[in-house]
Amino acid sequence: MDIDILELTETQARFKVTNTSPEVINALRRVLLSEIPKMAIDVVEFHLGPIKDADGREFESVSPLFDEIVAHRLGLVPIPTDLSMKEKDKCDCGGEGCPSCMIGYSLFKTGPCDVYSGDLLPLTEGDASVRVKDELIPIVRLGEGQAILVYAFAEMGTGKKHAKWQVANGVGYKYLPSVKIDASKCDNGGTCIPICPKKVFAKEGNKVKVVNEGDCILCMACTDENICKTGAIKVVGDPTKFIFEFETDGSLSAKDTLMKGLELLHQKFEDFKEQVSTLEA
Amino acid sequence: MIIPVRCFTCGKVIGSSYQTFVKRVQMGEDPKEVLDDLGLTRYCCRRMIISHSDLLEELIPLG
Repeated sequence: MDIDILELTETQARFKVTNTSPEVINALRRVLLSEIPKMAIDVVEFHLGPIKDADGREFESVSPLFDEIVAHRLGLVPIPTDLSMKEKDKCDCGGEGCPSCMIGYSLFKTGPCDVYSGDLLPLTEGDASVRVKDELIPIVRLGEGQAILVYAFAEMGTGKKHAKWQVANGVGYKYLPSVKIDASKCDNGGTCIPICPKKVFAKEGNKVKVVNEGDCILCMACTDENICKTGAIKVVGDPTKFIFEFETDGSLSAKDTLMKGLELLHQKFEDFKEQVSTLEA
Repeated sequence: MIIPVRCFTCGKVIGSSYQTFVKRVQMGEDPKEVLDDLGLTRYCCRRMIISHSDLLEELIPLG
């Protein structure tokens, strides 16, 4: 399996994988979706009863949304993840919660105002690395006399348990397309040009040429016998080469996600190999 | 209600784009270009923003 990076940003990756098979590439897709660990808020403690601000004004701990919905929205906020942190029940602290398996946040706001994900403040003050990066996600809107005071705790988890722990989204791949026009058969009528949704063909002079081979999605619309009556176009996908793309929610970089995914996949194959060898013996 | 944090279909975070979208469209920009600019390429994410109706204001007195 060889990987050529075509495009890599902080949250997006697009790469060509060669020398592989559909089974392996699908395994990679599934690992990226459900096996990469990340931090997400899992426990939210709401302060109930009157809340006083610094000036001594009193507010009621109510908001237009149910507490459950606020907690769910907080859970979906991407939390910056350090992959060296452990899952809570596998941590040395025995599941009690300690700095190596938990990040605590506090959120205090008094109405009328909008509450954003950027208002979540890490309990370890001054630690900028665990501050929520995407600060503009609306959590709730407060009216006059309303306030919110919560403590939220993020834990490590994987997408298998809940989608809030899913790092990668929009994970997909396609066979590397190959579009060829047989010049001896082609009548240069150009019927294939408007039918192609990805504008793979164009007219150059009098001839129809393939100009955008990589964009082809193998929909086969151009090979339809009512479109290309001479059968000059040949479209095939190579099942050993793939274009793979995915993006992350911002809690991990695309590069780290891919590296972790490949590492996990390797580990899984090793485990499987070992189990098979015990069967043989 | 309030804009969902993530796209229902693919899970991309879209909540943070909503306010920018509304502001820029009110300033007279083409919604299509604003969505492209915000990186919402799939139609599942685009419909989250376009079809959202912000009614939370009406619920505040009932809190």
